[in-house]
Amino acid sequence: MLKKSQQKLNLGFSIFILLLILLLLQVSVKLALTFAVSLGLGFVLQKSRFCFVSAFRDPLLTGTTKLTEAVILLLAISVPGFAIVYHLAETLNYPLQLYVTPFGIHTFMGGILFGTGMVLAGGCASGVLMRIGEGFAMQMVALGGLLIGVFIGKNSIPFMLSTFYEFPGIFLPDIMGWGPAVALQLFILFVLWKVTRWWQKKQKGFE
Amino acid sequence: MVTYQLDIWGEMCPIPIIKTQRKLKEMSCGDVLILETDHSCTSRALVVWAREHGHDIKEEEVSNGIWRLELIKKRD
Repeated sequence: MLKKSQQKLNLGFSIFILLLILLLLQVSVKLALTFAVSLGLGFVLQKSRFCFVSAFRDPLLTGTTKLTEAVILLLAISVPGFAIVYHLAETLNYPLQLYVTPFGIHTFMGGILFGTGMVLAGGCASGVLMRIGEGFAMQMVALGGLLIGVFIGKNSIPFMLSTFYEFPGIFLPDIMGWGPAVALQLFILFVLWKVTRWWQKKQKGFE
Repeated sequence: MVTYQLDIWGEMCPIPIIKTQRKLKEMSCGDVLILETDHSCTSRALVVWAREHGHDIKEEEVSNGIWRLELIKKRD
């Protein structure tokens, strides 16, 4: 029942990270910032126990929709957030790379494969990495599988594209303008949130 | 009041929740179920699940990375 203090380890690691950021700053500011943001993301992910797998799996398996609502909230914040970032980049003349990727049947195939895999492994990409850091050894196996999958996926893209027809990517703001695009997405998210609430009530009623 | 134990070491969600659901069906109201896990998300998910379904649950980190849960069945 003894809880060993990890304070000394924490302090040592914090100093190490600080020095590493200072070192990266000498190399390039962008690199240091990327590193700092990734660290922050990892920290928030671990502390909040955020889990994308749980968000999609729990409503069906256990009837809990807390994390599903969290993911909807996350998207509802990031949609206007991205619009703001886009407009800031435009006014500051900063070149922005948009990953509006083409889609096709292979997208859905990949989604089904990844979904099956992440439920079996008990974590999506970020969740697996976060839990390895926590010391959950089983996720090391999942990371191995993830790396193999990424390698195969990366190398089979030309084959997939030649086998299946692909549709050009759709960027909503180009079609209907920024205002309506953001409003439409928020409306869809609101409908999804209502559906999750309804599902939660139904699940509880059955218990 | 009977105290039950459930072994969920090394299991990842959602297996612990499904195992708990099965175990709870065998128990009667007021019985206590002790769970121990080494998976942080499992511990969290069980607490959320139990509260939403109206059971009493206490979460305690007994050692670094080991959580002990005490669930009291409140309703069927």
